[in-house]
Amino acid sequence: MASAPKSDSSPPVAQRPRARPLRDVVDYELLFDCVHCGLCLEACPTYVVTRAEMDSPRGRVYLMKALAEGALDLDADAVRHLDLCLECRGCETACPSGVRYGKLIERAREYVERNVRRPWRERIRNRLIAALFPYPARLRILLTPITAADRLGMRPLIRKLAPAAMRDWLDLIPPRAAPPPMVLAPPSAASAAAPAAVVHHGCVAKVLTNAENLNTEGALAAAGYRVARMGRTVCCGALDLHHGNFARAKQFARANIREFQRLGDAAILSAASGCAAAIAAYGDLLADDPEFAAPAREVSARVADLGTLMLARDYRFTREFRAAVTYHDSCHLAHGLGVREAPRQLLRAIPGVTLIELNEADLCCGSAGSYNLTERAMARELVRRKADNILATGADYVVLGNPGCELQIAAELRRRGAPVRVIHLADFLALAIRGANA
Amino acid sequence: MPTGAHASLDSATVAELRAILGDDAIVSRPTELKVYECDGWTIEKNAPELLLRPRSAAEISAVLKLLDRRAIAFVPRGAGTGLSGGCLPVGAPVMICTSRLNRILAIDYANRRVEVESGVVNLHVSNAVRGRGFFYAPDPSSQMACTIGGNIAENSGGPHTLKYGVTTNHVLGLEIVLPDGEIAELGGPTEERLGYDLVGAIVGAEGTAGIVTRATLRLTREPEARRTLLAIFADVEAATRAVSAIIASGVIPGAIEMMDQLIIEAVEAAFHAGLPRDAGAVLIIELDGIAAALDAEARAVGELARSSGAREVRFARDEAERATLWKARKRAFGAVGRLAPNYATQDGVVPRTRLPEILREIAQIARRHALRIGNVFHAGDGNIHPIVLYDERDPDETRRAIAAGREILRACVAMGGSLTGEHGIGVEKISEMPLIFSPDDLIVMSELRRVFDPAQRANPNKVIPAPGGCVEVAAPRRQAAL
Repeated sequence: MASAPKSDSSPPVAQRPRARPLRDVVDYELLFDCVHCGLCLEACPTYVVTRAEMDSPRGRVYLMKALAEGALDLDADAVRHLDLCLECRGCETACPSGVRYGKLIERAREYVERNVRRPWRERIRNRLIAALFPYPARLRILLTPITAADRLGMRPLIRKLAPAAMRDWLDLIPPRAAPPPMVLAPPSAASAAAPAAVVHHGCVAKVLTNAENLNTEGALAAAGYRVARMGRTVCCGALDLHHGNFARAKQFARANIREFQRLGDAAILSAASGCAAAIAAYGDLLADDPEFAAPAREVSARVADLGTLMLARDYRFTREFRAAVTYHDSCHLAHGLGVREAPRQLLRAIPGVTLIELNEADLCCGSAGSYNLTERAMARELVRRKADNILATGADYVVLGNPGCELQIAAELRRRGAPVRVIHLADFLALAIRGANA
Repeated sequence: MPTGAHASLDSATVAELRAILGDDAIVSRPTELKVYECDGWTIEKNAPELLLRPRSAAEISAVLKLLDRRAIAFVPRGAGTGLSGGCLPVGAPVMICTSRLNRILAIDYANRRVEVESGVVNLHVSNAVRGRGFFYAPDPSSQMACTIGGNIAENSGGPHTLKYGVTTNHVLGLEIVLPDGEIAELGGPTEERLGYDLVGAIVGAEGTAGIVTRATLRLTREPEARRTLLAIFADVEAATRAVSAIIASGVIPGAIEMMDQLIIEAVEAAFHAGLPRDAGAVLIIELDGIAAALDAEARAVGELARSSGAREVRFARDEAERATLWKARKRAFGAVGRLAPNYATQDGVVPRTRLPEILREIAQIARRHALRIGNVFHAGDGNIHPIVLYDERDPDETRRAIAAGREILRACVAMGGSLTGEHGIGVEKISEMPLIFSPDDLIVMSELRRVFDPAQRANPNKVIPAPGGCVEVAAPRRQAAL
């Protein structure tokens, strides 16, 4: 470290060499939005757990800047701390300076993937995730043996025999014994004058939690929307964005955009808030695409959420549904799309529902796309914290807006034998609309 | 051991520290240390050679005993939100971070006090007691992240200190690990202290007396009601006239905060708080107390603002409107990040009546250095926060920003004010200390510090400038990050 003499009258000045050109780590100018105030620290789940600066958004932005300027090399530590980020974007909510952290970390991850050769275990794992998750048909095949084992009551045995690394993965798959979610009647034809909405059915959600898609459509129809259906649905691309694979993310985005354009001006929803946020970012993703830039912006602007649309139609619940409910803010709904109040307001509007506020409601549960498969220790730590907070409310239901959170939190509550039911907002609305426990 | 005779860090010491704390509490690789090279004062940067992340006072005590035997200097760090470089290592190879000492130990409503570890976040104290109608009064703008330990080091303030006082008025007792590793209890849970006010000597000492590990804090009863006003002015002169008029009338508002046009522009871009972009200045005035008296008081204050030249006075109608105003104010510093790549927040004090003069002076300094300077500050107590915008990639502009900051401070002192209201001296203002204090004053302070830290190994080269201004020796590792 060079030292500079300092005199009393003029400030010390050590010229920083600018010899090295900037590395293509992130959009460099965006880094200067960060003023290093640190207000993001406590909004960051990984900082809350490790309490170390390099696991904070401010620390990661600083690492990205040092990498871009060539002051640091992309060593194992830099990769480790960038990998540990959940991309929950809680820091964006806290940031007074408008740092576009999500955009920064996505680019930084692409840089990491371009420049780092990972150990073989990680390579295989990441390839498996990339090859399976965006394709519902492949996922179904993968799940067949587990479904079969469940039918034979052999899940505990398999779990016992599985290596520790697989156990957390297995736990995420809901057992057959879980009560099947109630599904609203399929939407009937609404008048052509009604506002239109379309639900992107997603990939994992379609296989593991399809009721949420159907109930989102059912609830929209009940509130007077004309529900359109996509012809061909491909993955939204969120997974690839998290893993630095921009090329395939763009490919997916273009296919979805074509399909959404076909559906006119229908509001675009997803039962998975991660997918909705990814679609809302298509405009950014394809900003330099000569053909798709404008349609991408237009599609992104159409992204909406169930709570807000229900409130917009002034939907009234006619039946009573008695329940103590708490609400977990899924990251990409709260931090990505800025939707916090609408779902709560909707829940409070259900006769018989008592909404109990959840401590740290908008702190990530650790699911974060495929994070709970790649960063198991941190994911586990966060879901324990989430479960503690949920149990402290004494609620019967924890309502949320993302299947990833649902699988993650439900797995932890099952491990604890806690009787709290984890339920997607759409499924809960289905119960409330039917007045199922009245 | 004479002053300045500090040893360097060797691998045997690192190994012993590792044995005391365990691997997960030792940060020694350059990539990880890099992020600790500055706090909120980013003009100067210097990474520690080693970072320790202890979990308890006992661990800190063991660490300091070892460092004392080896004559190695250290610098404490909380959340690193400070604005004067207080936790920048200057001749201290080891940094000790208190962020893991984050437990709230005991809440005692009957005696209105709370006992916390020093790494607890300021806002978390208020959050823990709000349900019972209490809060912790000092509320620096960084309260959602800054730690109580850091607040104690800098004697932090905040908007509501106009009425409630600064940190030192709210710390009843402390546990501090002295630089030789001894754990000392100062003050105590009772309101009346006997003997010298040693707690008062530690609060604001900027970590030069040791590492505070625990504090007993005073809880304040939430006022029964609040009225929050927004007064809109054509220029800062009129706004500052209103401040003096309100204080002179005998009313003590909970807070009087001023924002000038540049800041209004920044917070509107960030939060859409509904501030008028064409205003020259706004005041956020908050009155609190017994509900029955507040409406009349608020009307009177509104009238005073109008008669001082306010073109409009708005009353926050509900808690949501109040929260929006405070969010705009509290996050104003960060919002300024939208106007320029970098900024330096100054922190000076002038007698309230001289606010118009200092603001004129700041405007002239800005013109002279061709810089943009915004003002957002605690007008009620004359604590100004000029925010100097610059771009660190332009070395000349950075130099001008530093020079402008110094001129502002000199102007404050010339008007009978002070160098810092709440951010502390840190490295930023150490060379300005002789503007306020005579050599004798500084020697007395230095001797007081030696009571706690005879070898001056706790956060060396801070607060008290080396005699004779021989800063080369005092600050061997300091560098501006230009």
